[in-house]
Amino acid sequence: MSEIPVLETRGLGRRFGSLDAVSDVSFSVPKGMILGVIGPNGAGKSTFINLVTGHIKPTSGKVFIEGKDMTGAAPWDIARAGVARTFQIVKPFNGMTVRENIAVGILYEPHGTNRMAVALREADEVLHTVGLAGQGERRPNELSTADVRRLEFAKALASRPRLILLDEVMAGLRPTEIGPSLDLIRELKAQGTTVIVVEHVMKAIVAVSDEVLVLAQGKVLMQGDPHEVLADPRVIEVYLGHRYAKRQKGNS
Amino acid sequence: MDTFLQVTAYGLLQGGLLALVAVGFSLVWGIMNIVNLSHGAFVILGAYIAWEMQSWFGLDPFLGMFVSAAVLFCIGYVIQRYLINLIVNGPVFITLLLTFGINMIFIQSMNLIFTADFRSIQTSYGSNSLKIGAIHIPVVRLLAFLLAILISFALVAFVKRTRTGLSIMATGMDRGAARLMGIRARHVYAITFAISAALAGMAGTMIATIETFDPAKAGKFTLMAFVVAVLGGLGNLYGALVGGLLIGLVESWAGQYLSGTWVNGIAFLVLIIVLIFRPNGLVGKAFYAARVEL
Amino acid sequence: MTTTPEVKISRNLLHTWIPSVVAVLAVIGALILKSHIPGGELRAVATIFMFIALSQAWNIIGGFAGYASFGQVVFFGMGGYFTAVVMLKYHFSFWVAMPLSGLFAAVFAMLIGLPLLKLKGHYFAIATLGVAEGMREVVINLPDLTGGGAGISVPIAGTFAKTQYLGDGGFYLLFLGLAIFSVGIGTLVSRNKFGYGLRAIHQNEDAAAAVGINTVRSKVMAYGLSAFMTGMVGASYVFQQVTIFPERLFDVEITVLMIMMVVIGGSGTVIGPLLGALGLQFISEYLREHFTSGHTFILGLIIILAVILIPQGLVNYIREGRRTKQYSLLTNIRRYRL
Repeated sequence: MSEIPVLETRGLGRRFGSLDAVSDVSFSVPKGMILGVIGPNGAGKSTFINLVTGHIKPTSGKVFIEGKDMTGAAPWDIARAGVARTFQIVKPFNGMTVRENIAVGILYEPHGTNRMAVALREADEVLHTVGLAGQGERRPNELSTADVRRLEFAKALASRPRLILLDEVMAGLRPTEIGPSLDLIRELKAQGTTVIVVEHVMKAIVAVSDEVLVLAQGKVLMQGDPHEVLADPRVIEVYLGHRYAKRQKGNS
Repeated sequence: MDTFLQVTAYGLLQGGLLALVAVGFSLVWGIMNIVNLSHGAFVILGAYIAWEMQSWFGLDPFLGMFVSAAVLFCIGYVIQRYLINLIVNGPVFITLLLTFGINMIFIQSMNLIFTADFRSIQTSYGSNSLKIGAIHIPVVRLLAFLLAILISFALVAFVKRTRTGLSIMATGMDRGAARLMGIRARHVYAITFAISAALAGMAGTMIATIETFDPAKAGKFTLMAFVVAVLGGLGNLYGALVGGLLIGLVESWAGQYLSGTWVNGIAFLVLIIVLIFRPNGLVGKAFYAARVEL
Repeated sequence: MTTTPEVKISRNLLHTWIPSVVAVLAVIGALILKSHIPGGELRAVATIFMFIALSQAWNIIGGFAGYASFGQVVFFGMGGYFTAVVMLKYHFSFWVAMPLSGLFAAVFAMLIGLPLLKLKGHYFAIATLGVAEGMREVVINLPDLTGGGAGISVPIAGTFAKTQYLGDGGFYLLFLGLAIFSVGIGTLVSRNKFGYGLRAIHQNEDAAAAVGINTVRSKVMAYGLSAFMTGMVGASYVFQQVTIFPERLFDVEITVLMIMMVVIGGSGTVIGPLLGALGLQFISEYLREHFTSGHTFILGLIIILAVILIPQGLVNYIREGRRTKQYSLLTNIRRYRL
């Protein structure tokens, strides 16, 4: 209890015009946890990530990273504080090789090397970790969809983060490709990295998460053990609709 | 007070003209994300065509401008369809360079064909003016102003009410989706550019009845169209009108109340201030641009 | 698995000394050339050197960072006017005035860069163009300081002149020096952390910020560096021309030439802008001599063809081709076609 959570938000919210994309989100993630974040389309999952990483400034509430108030900090400051992320719509640096994509992240990591040659060598290790070994000299636009997702993952890993936010890294992957991704997430946890997984693939979330947080209409619906959360009628309702929830109740 | 009203009236009239110069430019930019650096050359070419029409056939410039429009429509269609469409997905400076190259060719051609002398279109009613109270309103300027307003509204009606207009809008919003709906994007882009060029031609004709012109003035009109389009904001067809009137007024007031040639710098000052504080222009769509696509 | 990168890197090292040798040979060639050509041609070649320096400068902000500075000439003009004013009114030596002009332009760039570099795409291009046009008007409207539209002259001889006129040979060497300096800076940037940060910003600013790149600071610094080089070139140009006018020193065509050279040569590379400046200036001179009335026409045609056929620039086209063994111009056109 005394340990400072890696990430904590208090009353975090963002309003776009008259629309509350995210409002009053308060939660915390202890070190080494894998937190799954789910919610239907438009629940504010991506906005929530963007608020934490500084890509969108909150209109209310606070963000604490390892106990430090980082509300409204620039994305690069948050990155330097040890937080990495992926983007739902992948954003590779298309003008560079795959290896250089990773090396940039290594160069700009606060404790990393300043020499490109060294960074390139280290990039190969990262590529190996995510299963992109041998693809280093290719361009991102020459990779398969799955490999571009892996590259997105690898770019986040390059800065050796203490907290990593994964925004639908498994979307569009075949079931056989999801397994390795889950292994990788567990591997990160084993190394002491805290992981927040935003996903649509429910199975993946249940398999890997220690806890699950459900967002609906920009608010926290509930947080807790994955199996309990997914069995909760409120969650079933927001996710699958009113009628499905009723039918489920009837069945049991 | 009378001076102020006179200056204001003059500024509004001038603003209408600027709006007419910019409206096509703004359309092309808003729909296709192309900044057409040859727009000013189209304006000047329109002036030359109307001049030649008058000198060969005695055609009144207010009729001659339709000839200018028709010729420039065809030229515009060909340029977009067979040149600009080839690089339309490229980065910013690629499109800028291409249209600059087109501009160079047009200017040089006009220099060779029409020579670099100053010209202007004279009409029998060119020096007439209305008198409202103490304010003089030159008839030609008033006609040009009314035409600018009329064309802005006609353009909006065209885009919102006709099949072609709607396909232009749809293509501007989402080209991929528009293509799936069976809209031929290449053709629609070419039509859009053609309309823009035709409007430039009409603007050029109007300008020729009011002031002198020569090929070297093309750059000035492109720059003016820039400023006006940015001020008004893209994505709103009345943007050019708002921007044009604003610049017309500001320049007119500055010319009266500021010393020296500071007036030439005023437009750019306004431009930079607006860009910094309202990057989407005065009536542009703020919400869509503010939304961060992540 | 671990040996592959070592091999790759040592091969890269092998590649790095070839350009160095070529560069040294080129400089030696330029020095030999100096004593073998007449004054008029010395000036023409000096102009080529000037544009090499200018295109390298634009390449930092436009090529690496991807911000199309359409008003780059403002730094040329302000550097130039700074030198003219301090040499005329305060009797500065040119050798002091020139680097100060660079600094002056750099500081100005960083100040306007803070708000302007938030703008994207065309908006940035136009805002910078607005700044350039606006500054020209400022210079015209401050006749006591700048001589206004009537122009200003730099003292080049006599007691008021701290630095005597350099002559055709001297300016040849000066612009050669600036070209070497700018290519050196370009090479440095293309290989170091800063340069990779700029490339990342060019590709995607959100993603660049997410890996820890301070995009605001990087962009402002790139703009400042670019302006520094441009300002020093402007200063040298003013000294060479002796008498200057605002219209010439803030001529948008100078910006367009820089951009053309970079884009046609290959933006984001060092060799591209160099070749672009060399080739385009050479062609332009040739056309001017042989087709007096039609030279802009042909130049326009060349631009259109180059932009459509090899939009990514010559150097990038060849590099891509060597990598993918794909040289077809038709597939190349498809890249940006509707």
